[in-house]
Amino acid sequence: MIGWLDVPRGWLDSFGEIARFGSRVAGLVYSGRALRFFGEVIRQSGILILGSALIIWAFVFILGLQCGLQGAYFFRSQGAPAYAGLFAAFCDLREALPYAFGYILSAKVGTGIVAEIGAMRISDEIDALEVMGVPPITFLCATRLLAAWIVLPFVYLVGIAVMYVASYLAVVEQVADVSSGGYTLIFWMFQDPTDVIFSLIKGMTMATVIVLVGCYYGYTASGGPVGVGTATAKSMVFNIVMVHIVGMLGTVVFWGANPRLPIGG
Amino acid sequence: MAANALARGGGRVAALFTQVGSMMILTTQTIVSAVRPPYPYGEELVDQFLFVLRLCWFPLLISTFALCLGAPGLQAAGPLQVFGALDRLGGFFVLTAIRWIGPVVTAVVVGGVAGTAITADLGARKIREELDALQVLGVDPIKNLVVPRFLALMVVTALLDIFAIVFGLTAGIAAELLYNQPLGGFFATLFANASVTDLWGSVLMCTLFGAIIAVVCSYKGMTASGGAAGVGRAVNQAVVIALVGVFAFNYVFTAVLLATNPELQQIR
Repeated sequence: MIGWLDVPRGWLDSFGEIARFGSRVAGLVYSGRALRFFGEVIRQSGILILGSALIIWAFVFILGLQCGLQGAYFFRSQGAPAYAGLFAAFCDLREALPYAFGYILSAKVGTGIVAEIGAMRISDEIDALEVMGVPPITFLCATRLLAAWIVLPFVYLVGIAVMYVASYLAVVEQVADVSSGGYTLIFWMFQDPTDVIFSLIKGMTMATVIVLVGCYYGYTASGGPVGVGTATAKSMVFNIVMVHIVGMLGTVVFWGANPRLPIGG
Repeated sequence: MAANALARGGGRVAALFTQVGSMMILTTQTIVSAVRPPYPYGEELVDQFLFVLRLCWFPLLISTFALCLGAPGLQAAGPLQVFGALDRLGGFFVLTAIRWIGPVVTAVVVGGVAGTAITADLGARKIREELDALQVLGVDPIKNLVVPRFLALMVVTALLDIFAIVFGLTAGIAAELLYNQPLGGFFATLFANASVTDLWGSVLMCTLFGAIIAVVCSYKGMTASGGAAGVGRAVNQAVVIALVGVFAFNYVFTAVLLATNPELQQIR
C-alpha cells in the first residue's frame, strides 16, 4: 500500500533524472546525430500520422463542441448571446486546444512510447542494440523526438481548424441564439495570428515534454511484464501534471500581462 | 487494393463494435453482481478507495489549481478588467470551476492516475494467469476484483470533484488577488449565480465518469494479452478509450443538463 506522500516524493526523486535524460536526447537531436537514422525518423513520423492524428482530431472536435456549448449558454445567461464568439475564440485557441492536445498526446503517444521501449528493455533488445554498435538513445529516443517535432505542428494546426468547425456547429447550429454572421464577426475579431503562434508554442512544449517523459520511463523500465505496465501508468501521472503546469505557465507568459484584446487603446 | 483497404477498415470497425459491446456486457455483469448477495468485496472496496485517494489527491490538487488559474482565471480576467467588471469573475467561475473544469479535470486525473494503475494491476494478473487460477478456485473475478474497483472509483471520483471545485475556486481567488481586486465582488457574483442544480449535476456527472473509467480500465486489463508489450499496450488503449469516452459523455450530459434546466440560464 502506498503512503499519502509517496506520489510527490517519487516525482522529486525522478525529476532531476528526467531533466538530465531529456536534455541529453534533445542534445542528440540538435547536434544532428539523430539524422544518421533518418529512415527511422520517417518511419516514426508515419506511425504518428497514421496512428495518432485521427484520434487527436476526434478528441479536439469533442472539446470544440463543448467550448461552443458552454460559451453559448454562458453569454445567454449574461444577456449577450452574440458574444459567444468571444468565449469560443479564447477557449478554442488559447486554452482548450493546448490542453486537449496535451491530454490525448500523453494518453496515446506518451504511454505508447513507454509500452514500446519498455517492452524492448524487458526483452533485452536495447542491450542487443548496444552490442551491435547502434547507440540506443539516439536510435530509439532522439528519432522519436525529431519525428514529433516534424509532424505534430501540422497536426496541431489542422486541430485548430477542426476545433473552429466544432465550435461553430455548437453555437450556430445547436444552440442557435446567434446568426452565423454575428458569431463569426466576434469570433474572428478576438484573435490574431500572433495568438496562433503562442498557442502553437504552448502545444509543442507539451508535446516535447510528453515524448521525453515517455522515452525516459520506457528506457528505464524494469521488472518484467508487470514493470512495463507500472512504468506506463507512472508516465501518465507525470505527464498529466506537466501538461497542466506548462499550460498555466504558457498562459501567464503569453497573455498574463497583456490580454491582447481589440478593445480600447 | 481499394477492396483490400476497405475490408481492413471494415474489420477495424467491427472490432470496435465488438469491444464496445463487450464493455457494455461487463458493465451489466458488474452491476448485477454488485447488488446480488453475497457481498465478499467489502475489504477490497476500502483498500481500493484508499489506494485511489492516496494516488490522486496531489496530482488533482496541482492540476485543478494550475488549470483554473490559467484558463478561466487570468484569461477571463483580461476582458473583464477591460470592461471594468472584474467582480463578474465569480459568476464565470460557476460555469468553469463547477460545471465544466472541475468534473473534467477530476476525470482526466482519475483516468490517468488510477485508471492506468488498475489496468496495469489487472493486466499483470491476467498475464501471470492469476485470473484463471482464481476462476479454477471458484472465485468470481468480476465480483471480487471488478465490482470493488467500480464502486470505489464511482465514490472517489465524486468525492474528488468536490476537492477540484474547492481548489478551482481558490485559483479564482488567486487570480482576483493578482489583479489587486477586493474579494467581495467575487463571492457576491459567485453565490448569486451558483445553484444547487449546478452542484448535483457536477457530482452526478463525476460519478458516471468514475463508472466509465472503471469499466474501460478493468475490461482492458482483464483482456490483456501478448507478454511484456501486452500490458503496456493495454494501459495505452485503456487510457485513450477512457478519455474519449469521458469527454464525449461530458458533452452529451452538459447539453442535456443546460437544455433541460432553464433556471441555469437566468440573468443574475
